[in-house]
Amino acid sequence: MAAVVAASALPVTFGRLVSACSRSVLRASGPGEGIARRPEWQVCSEQGEAREAWAQRDRWNRTARCPVGRSSLWSASRRFSSQSASFPQGYVPKTSLSSPPWPEVVVPDPVEEARHHAEVVGKVNGLIARGRYGRLFAVVHFASHQWKVTSEDLILIENKLDVACGERIRLEKVLLVGADDFTLLGRPLLGKDLVQVEATVIEKTESWPKINMRFKKRKNYKRKRIIVSPQTVLRINTIKIAPCLC
Amino acid sequence: MVFLTAQLWLRNRVTDRYWRVQEVLKHARHFRGRKNRCYRLAVRAVTRAFVQCTRARRRKKRNLRTLWISRVTAASQEHGLKYPAFILNLIKCQVELNRKVLADLAIYEPKTFKSLAALAKRRRQEGFAAALGDGKEPEGIFSRVAQHL
Repeated sequence: MAAVVAASALPVTFGRLVSACSRSVLRASGPGEGIARRPEWQVCSEQGEAREAWAQRDRWNRTARCPVGRSSLWSASRRFSSQSASFPQGYVPKTSLSSPPWPEVVVPDPVEEARHHAEVVGKVNGLIARGRYGRLFAVVHFASHQWKVTSEDLILIENKLDVACGERIRLEKVLLVGADDFTLLGRPLLGKDLVQVEATVIEKTESWPKINMRFKKRKNYKRKRIIVSPQTVLRINTIKIAPCLC
Repeated sequence: MVFLTAQLWLRNRVTDRYWRVQEVLKHARHFRGRKNRCYRLAVRAVTRAFVQCTRARRRKKRNLRTLWISRVTAASQEHGLKYPAFILNLIKCQVELNRKVLADLAIYEPKTFKSLAALAKRRRQEGFAAALGDGKEPEGIFSRVAQHL
């Protein structure tokens, strides 16, 4: 029914997330970088095809904020630098405006990510299959509220259910299930074959008499109403998960 | 004989004044000062109490929501995210947990909250990459929207 995001708190952590941002500065070791990162912007060069590539890809230089003109910085560095031969093509010295003010965004490699994700999912599946978890907790949507429940929990619902006392109920809208080492998040719900949450209706009672009073001073206006609303108490019996992550 | 008016010795008199007074005083027994004993003062205090009780029931929902939001803000700051970014990116990942549950997870399930913060952070970075990257790169893994039946 929905995709599942599995997070594992084991040493194979929910990692490979975005690394810390790094400034996208064209350092002197530019051509020597091992990672095949596609740069988001480039300084222009004076040649024709480079100028076209720049026009397509370089957003930063096209914005009104960037004072660097098409060739002013490049030609300036050419003019005043005595060691222009040692710098690679397209090198711009680092200034406060040579790179965009936002940090460079790096998204990890999708193939490697997919492999890592499959590994994590397999591990979590193995843990579930072998029963290597302790107490499970779940977030359940019921009676227009979300409840964080474990087994042996009591829940007070502020309305009447058409269920007799002592009957067992299965709560179907489960948003999240977690144990000590892993959590399964639903987007937004988890599948019915993955989680089962069972509860029993313990008592059906009425709330204490709540008083609703309206009063306006000096206008002889006073209204009093007593509200007694029905309540139901549920006991969560079990939370069960099945190893059907894919 | 048919009498068109009532007899003079028939009068409407209050016989249960004591119980009417006790009905009000019983709600004032825990008050301070003479308003827990004297009916005239107790009536005013009890009316005010009832009106404030009604108003507080409406305000409780607002206050609790503010409390949850500040708790979730604090917890997400511990993980390096701001509250709006956290909530927005969780919604974009189709994780529909409300603020009450997020606050409870932040207090009692820190590992789960950490993974939620990491998810939000990753979705945020994918959003930035999609916005800055000219649309030629494939969309991010966590940006995929699951279609439901």
